[in-house]
Amino acid sequence: MDDKWRNLRLGLGALGLILVVVGAWMGLFWAPADREMGDVYRIIYTHVPAMWMTLIGGFINFVACVAYLIRASWKADSLAEASAEVGLMFGVYGLVLGMLWGKPTWGVYWDWDPRLTSMAVLLVAYMGYMTLRRFIEDPEKRAVWSAVVGIIAFMDIPIVWFSVRWWRSLHQEQSTPQTVHPDMTLALRVNAFALLFVFLAFLWSRYRIAMANRKEELALPEALGEPTAAAG
Amino acid sequence: MNGLMLLAQVADAAERVGSGRIQGGWEFVWASYAIAYLSMALYALSLWWRRPGRAGRSEEKPS
Repeated sequence: MDDKWRNLRLGLGALGLILVVVGAWMGLFWAPADREMGDVYRIIYTHVPAMWMTLIGGFINFVACVAYLIRASWKADSLAEASAEVGLMFGVYGLVLGMLWGKPTWGVYWDWDPRLTSMAVLLVAYMGYMTLRRFIEDPEKRAVWSAVVGIIAFMDIPIVWFSVRWWRSLHQEQSTPQTVHPDMTLALRVNAFALLFVFLAFLWSRYRIAMANRKEELALPEALGEPTAAAG
Repeated sequence: MNGLMLLAQVADAAERVGSGRIQGGWEFVWASYAIAYLSMALYALSLWWRRPGRAGRSEEKPS
């Protein structure tokens, strides 16, 4: 049974890797150049899917945090930890890619516009979440406190998403398949699914690591609340 | 003559204004793709390093 799950996990990663290669070719060479941004726009095929995975990670973290607070479960806590870390990884490099796209198009690497600012706040929030988890040694306290932080951090995600519509933002509004060339839409979808499979493979692996950590921690007598020799 | 000079000035200005499309920028594109794939590769390596059941893992602080 363990082998079956391992093979499934590896298969997910392999499928993601294949699609990443195909998506890279489509984004770099196959999709046509943009009418205004020329070839620089090709960064979209790495930047946008990465940001989508960040938001998905944040959503999964939110659900797991709420689930833990409703009914304490190490599975929910481990899923929350895994989703935050994986989402943060995609978010950090996605933000860097956005900066690289900003320089040739806006003339600056960074601007304090609503989309960029709210995304930076989101990443700092999840960095805080991971830091909090690292510094609390008691597993139950860690799970509860980080669940509260995770729920608060999630409040920023709708702001990130709608910022380009609510405020006059330097960052462009979301495009739709009706407004872009169909080849561009296809290339973006392939890259998005590639990253989704990679995300799921990462999430699964990181979840297993978190669960293993919980088992190691809970095997210690102090974590079970049993009196130690000094306290006796 | 004035018309020709005017045309020359217009042509010069048009050349400096450009086509309205960003030219080049491939260095930004390559850098972006490199950062993206390197990040995922390094993260995958970190997951493999921290995998459950790895010898000596239980001696390290849980992360």
